[in-house]
Amino acid sequence: MPDPDRYTRRSFVYRQLAARGARFRRLAGAAVASDFGRPEDERRALERLGLCDLSPLPRVGFKGPAALDWLRGRRVGGLARDNWADAQTSGALAARLAPTEALILGSLTGREVLCARLEAALDATPRPGCYKAMRRDGNFHFLLGGAHAADAMATLCAVDLRARAFPAGSVAQTSVARMSMIVIGVALGEVPAFHLLGDSASAAYAWGVLVDAMAEFEGIPVGFDAVRHAAGARPG
Amino acid sequence: MKILDCPLNGPRNISEFACGGEAIEMAHPDTVSDAAWADYVFGAGTARGVVREWWFHVPTAYWFIAERDTGTDEVLRTYPASELFGPGGEAGEGA
Repeated sequence: MPDPDRYTRRSFVYRQLAARGARFRRLAGAAVASDFGRPEDERRALERLGLCDLSPLPRVGFKGPAALDWLRGRRVGGLARDNWADAQTSGALAARLAPTEALILGSLTGREVLCARLEAALDATPRPGCYKAMRRDGNFHFLLGGAHAADAMATLCAVDLRARAFPAGSVAQTSVARMSMIVIGVALGEVPAFHLLGDSASAAYAWGVLVDAMAEFEGIPVGFDAVRHAAGARPG
Repeated sequence: MKILDCPLNGPRNISEFACGGEAIEMAHPDTVSDAAWADYVFGAGTARGVVREWWFHVPTAYWFIAERDTGTDEVLRTYPASELFGPGGEAGEGA
């Protein structure tokens, strides 16, 4: 089993994950917590409420007055309105955060190439007015999923995140547990979920707060395999 | 909790915002008198009525303009700063 200490890229909360018995494996050049020793229980838990750390996976942001046009020129779809995210054919997610900013989250397969392709393209041919934001280093990335995900978030966040007010694709840049976060609504098959991104320096705090908030609804941390299983169950 | 309508993010708790003070034209530091510069830096209008203010949505680092009645504390309108300071705006280039 890979030791996260041997990887230059690992989660900001890998010590917390290890303390809970996480079993790591290599994915996208990083050590990812694939499960906590009870994969079947974690799959079932995610239907009710589960928290998964996706921090080691690829993601990147682009800012600047030319950022959205540059992304469209590289066949990134959607980006039509602020605070909305569109799934890409590769399985990645492209969220428009402002008229001058977008965020790309890699596919939950872990075999995502869009982020790397975009980064390489901008590095090779810089475009004035389009700048890379190092979201993989600057932001933690958690996924809170399950039927009670919105209930747990309601204890931490003032924005109404229930499905009827916040359908899949919605983006809220708001305060969660008194820290700034990006919240993106998605559906993993039948499982509603939220991508949560915030300042990586506060990752341990955010992880602890979310684990605490889940306790009321019997939620538990789950490994990446449980999330991928739910995402793979998506019809079509 | 008061609610402020951010032009980018919609209605949010006032705790997500910080006020940046009145949106007034900056005096030119090379040509203005010391007294006028000091007034710009340290002085604050206290008149009752509608004022334009800079407001900042902290989670998105987004600055915008709000028109607020200082007598009732009612926010009458919020809009992007480009509407005021951008090309064709009241205080922008070409104004």
